[in-house]
Amino acid sequence: LCRGGLAERLCRLQNRERSAISFWRHQCISDDKIPSDKSGVLIVKILEIFEECTIQVAICQQLEQSPAALSPEDALINAEEPILKVLFTRETAAHLKSKPQDVIHIYPPWQKLLLQNTDVPVIMNTYFSQKVLHNEHSEAREKTYGLTKMLIRKNIISLAQTFRLDDLDDKLHQESSDNQVPCAPQTHNNDGSKQHPSALGAVNDSLLEMVESQGAVGWREVQVRVVIQRVYCLPAREGYRSHTQGNKPLCATPVTNTHPPNVRLCLLVQDAYGMFSEVQLQSLSSTDDIEQYCRRWEGKSCCLAGMKILQRTTRGRALGLFSLIDSLWPPVVPVKVPGQNQDSEMMTTNLPPPSFCYILTVQSGEMHVEVDEEEQISNLYQPPAVHGLKEILGIDGCNERCSFWAQVLYQRLQSKHSVPVDQREMLLFVTDSTLQNAVHEIPKVVAVSVTVSCVLSVEIIEALSAASQLVFFKDALWGNGRIICVERTVLLLQKPLLCSAAGADLSELTGPVRLDELDSTTQANSVCALRGTVVGVNESTAFSWPTCNRCGNGKLELCPRDRELLYCNQCSEVVTTPILKMQLEVFLSCPSRPQSTVKVKVWHEMTLFVLLTMLLFLQTYEVQSVLGKEVGLLNCYVHSVTTHPNCVALEEIALL
Amino acid sequence: STLPAVAEELLREIKKAFQETSQVPDELLLGLKFIFGPTAVPALDLVDQRSVTRVRAPSGRTLYQVLGSSGKLYTCYSSCHFCTCPAFGFAVLQKSESLLCKHILAVYLSQAMGACQELAVSEEQLTNILLAEEEDEG
Repeated sequence: LCRGGLAERLCRLQNRERSAISFWRHQCISDDKIPSDKSGVLIVKILEIFEECTIQVAICQQLEQSPAALSPEDALINAEEPILKVLFTRETAAHLKSKPQDVIHIYPPWQKLLLQNTDVPVIMNTYFSQKVLHNEHSEAREKTYGLTKMLIRKNIISLAQTFRLDDLDDKLHQESSDNQVPCAPQTHNNDGSKQHPSALGAVNDSLLEMVESQGAVGWREVQVRVVIQRVYCLPAREGYRSHTQGNKPLCATPVTNTHPPNVRLCLLVQDAYGMFSEVQLQSLSSTDDIEQYCRRWEGKSCCLAGMKILQRTTRGRALGLFSLIDSLWPPVVPVKVPGQNQDSEMMTTNLPPPSFCYILTVQSGEMHVEVDEEEQISNLYQPPAVHGLKEILGIDGCNERCSFWAQVLYQRLQSKHSVPVDQREMLLFVTDSTLQNAVHEIPKVVAVSVTVSCVLSVEIIEALSAASQLVFFKDALWGNGRIICVERTVLLLQKPLLCSAAGADLSELTGPVRLDELDSTTQANSVCALRGTVVGVNESTAFSWPTCNRCGNGKLELCPRDRELLYCNQCSEVVTTPILKMQLEVFLSCPSRPQSTVKVKVWHEMTLFVLLTMLLFLQTYEVQSVLGKEVGLLNCYVHSVTTHPNCVALEEIALL
Repeated sequence: STLPAVAEELLREIKKAFQETSQVPDELLLGLKFIFGPTAVPALDLVDQRSVTRVRAPSGRTLYQVLGSSGKLYTCYSSCHFCTCPAFGFAVLQKSESLLCKHILAVYLSQAMGACQELAVSEEQLTNILLAEEEDEG
């Protein structure tokens, strides 16, 4: 057994108890009468007995005094007397040999336990129990005991009945005031009446104090005043996400998805002492708009009540959360120091950044977050600091939160087909004026990776597929040369009311967007522009196929009735004027990257030149007519770059 | 039935006391002994040794693995009382003498005291753990 562990402690307690029990029993036998010390003795009359596992459960009536003192008439069962459930261990039960109508004296220390949802208390630790016999009947009773023993019913407990250890919010912990020594604390039910928060107790301003004084049960009676620094959504950890139906083509159809049902609205709040807490609120439905909540709530004060602690997390375990907290540190106004009187000392310099954070959630059924929407923005609020992309790319650090405006030029989903569309990572290629106007070494367009844990609203997803959007990326993460959108990053279409921007309005793009030209520094999974001369055509990859002119479905079938006609399953109609799509791989020689073989997959509808070339190609079936033709400034997505052989594989794309 | 409700309440008291004071008072330990009998001390020993691991797959399926004193790893289900140890088969299933075996009690106590180790696995790995039990018995 572990030294100092719980098992060792119970062993010691148990040994002590055993000695006490055997001593007591010995004393009872030798004294041959009831011990005179009556304080704390429970007198019960057994009404019914049954067994569960090795415990004997006796439904009893509690008696005020020993029935020996009562006349036979009074000894009748009085319905007013309280009912108890008394538990006996197998050994005690064997010693007592009790049956219905027996009167038992239970000496302390016994324990009383109150269960949820029942009025009948349970009595445990009944080792020191003794039966009281009425001499007249004792002999007859002993004879019938053997028969009774066989009739005691045994309840078989279902294995499906498991124990739930949470949801303590209905209980108020109360110390027992009875004179039993020692007694398990009594618990009793709150009647569950909901109270308006303003009827609750005083408003406190320290999260830590509240957490430490109230414990995990909840803060039903106290409110804490905090400032909402950030509003965002978190995906819930458990449960399935909604699945989209069928296989949607990668680029053709917009990614529409209903919100997964388990997305929770969360707040990052800060109290007057500078301490942070993450509050997880209700699940958002697909109609809720995170932008609205951000706009209405960020920067405002609010009162929290009826919360319970989900977790106390530390820097090492919640890097994402703490990178956000770090971006809000140090506080912009002086904060209070715990233990000092108000106004006596406020500190803002040299405060170490927080190393732990409580994650709170609503108690079931009640949520009290009263946001003073009408009030002013709090002084403690730190709006996201907006920077140009050029500045962000120059940040020297890892896991820094950054916020920026950018024009989204192109969206690419990761191509694993086994993953449902709404759970795929995506790459957004973005730019702003700082990148477009920059000179050498700075890329004109950067890829922002959006991970699955970053919750995107339906509005954003639809907007991103439709056209080029100016998007505000709030609290994205910069590290290892990449910008990624993770948990707690929010993408917004509208400008937040307050943000500190350095310098001019960075959102305006003057002139058409330019991409970097393909050169020796081009990497895979980027976008670039290229120009060159056609030096070859990969004939084996050339093919064309008809698509539905209504929905773009590329998998048309032959009509069952008339096999000359095409039929679209998604529209459930015949396609009379299909659009012919063609695809071809072309080899180019590019002056900007002369050493490489450049292979470009081009599609019909992409470039006018290609269309003409293709038609020419298909009509005359002569590759020669295509060779030598110049291709000018195609926008492409780079699939792969290899050095041996020196090859770049690209695909022509259309920017949004 | 009474005993499960009593056991549940006792475990909740333990969880509450532990959350508020980081300790379990003597009365509650003795209460464990009263209700669970000879299973109590071995279960507490398993908790002291941090033998309980909650294994979780992305789908939300969970199970518990308990490292027994003999070094064997037993599997306990989370949605019903079930353990792969012989004592469960004998004392709980066959004789209905105990509510739980020491491993299942250790799981509840570890939950109450935040002493569960956590392990995230893939769906296949969790399925293999469950299926492996079948192979042993078969």
